[in-house]
Amino acid sequence: MTFESCQITINNSRKQTVWGGKSLLATLHEQKIFIPTACGGRAVCGLCKVKVLKGGGPLTSSEKPLLTQQEQANGFRLACQVKVQGDLEIEIPDDLFRIRRYRARCSKIEDLTYDMKRFTFELENPKTIDFTAGQYIQLRCPPYNGIREGVTRSYSIASNPQENHRIDLIIRRMPHGICTTWCFEHLKVKDAVYFTGPYGDFYLRPADAPKIFVAGGSGIAPFVSILWQMKNNADKRKAVFFFGCNWVEDLCLLDEMKRFEQELADFRFVPVVASPSPESGWKGQTGLVTEAVQRSFQTLRGWEGYLCGGPGMIEAAVQVLAELGIPQENIYYDKFA
Amino acid sequence: MGPRMKRSPSEIKLEQMLRSSKLVAGGFMGNDPRTPEEIIRDDAAALQRLGRTAAEIAQRMRTLTNTARAALGNWVEAEGKYCLRSEEWKGMLICPWPHPGQFEKRLTACRRLDTGEEIVWSDLNIHLIEAHGFFEGMGSPFRLEPETLVRILF
Repeated sequence: MTFESCQITINNSRKQTVWGGKSLLATLHEQKIFIPTACGGRAVCGLCKVKVLKGGGPLTSSEKPLLTQQEQANGFRLACQVKVQGDLEIEIPDDLFRIRRYRARCSKIEDLTYDMKRFTFELENPKTIDFTAGQYIQLRCPPYNGIREGVTRSYSIASNPQENHRIDLIIRRMPHGICTTWCFEHLKVKDAVYFTGPYGDFYLRPADAPKIFVAGGSGIAPFVSILWQMKNNADKRKAVFFFGCNWVEDLCLLDEMKRFEQELADFRFVPVVASPSPESGWKGQTGLVTEAVQRSFQTLRGWEGYLCGGPGMIEAAVQVLAELGIPQENIYYDKFA
Repeated sequence: MGPRMKRSPSEIKLEQMLRSSKLVAGGFMGNDPRTPEEIIRDDAAALQRLGRTAAEIAQRMRTLTNTARAALGNWVEAEGKYCLRSEEWKGMLICPWPHPGQFEKRLTACRRLDTGEEIVWSDLNIHLIEAHGFFEGMGSPFRLEPETLVRILF
């Protein structure tokens, strides 16, 4: 193991002098270059891919299953598995230089449903964040209650990009989930939190095409931000948002969606409740959200699709939108993965 | 329980991983004092008594999960005897064994219509049972008793 000074050349221009001995992922984090990771460096999530042009040693057996043949041929590696033991030349997307580590303070926690909350964080250092509506952050969950290691989890930003001194997150509780349990049971107003971001390429494309949004559960989060952005830009493009849930009790943000309907030039919110009880008095759309989309349109030719939710919902919605005439390349999604 | 066999470094390392909260809150072992090898051995013996294999159980769980998935997070009746629901969250669940293995963060609830008995499993549970014969330790929130699984799934 080398603990000597090494040089990492990034994108053939930026040179970082670092101490060797750690993984490339950890070394870049120390240099405030935040390559995304979901598994904390165990070579299982495959998010920390970087192109290594020189150095880094041979590809390890743990990397191979997570890199396509093409990626391997092009020199891609998992940053968590590359040991910095000498000089390196790497290429990373320029967007990653925009990613910062933030300290923020929780200023508000709201119940949206019985299992979903909205958390507001005021930024302290840095004091502002520039993000594109639809992007996500990685929240650091500290050790708590016998959980000795901190973890990071990804959450879409659900706030107005113009109000860049704070972010909102909409989080749905996962039974026994490390981070959601911490958020729901331990995180209090005034507590400090840390996160990195913004990440992701789920954002509204500039084409004039009308947009259909489809989401379920906490998948509503990026669309709140996107609708704020449309409002900020006085966006006149047509947009329809189908939001699916199980029961009436799962519905949330109805007042905010109503306001967006009033304030945007051509926006319609369509809540879809799969199994409303007779007592609920629900008079809106029922069944699966994908069925509601099918019922509502004979064709979506010329539209763009934007989806956020679990893999099952995404797969079903992609199929429905494709059947209604939206080509795959015009369907964008933030799969919960 | 007989005398413990000498354990390999990899077995010890695996147990440390299973008892830690690195991958899931509270780990996979609950408050079970047995080693993972002992848990797997005991559950394999239980399966033998029940006349089922881990592969058969995993296959049933996967079939029911796929049925539930089609309802996009909503409850759905299946096979005339189950009420099923699959819910998904952002992120992946990672297998604690030292091999690449990540699974969508999905929980499937399976309720018998005749008895009302309900169990919940993750896609990772299916993998742990199928690939490692591991039903998790006693006291783990996602421990699945072989007897319960066989009673509900078949």
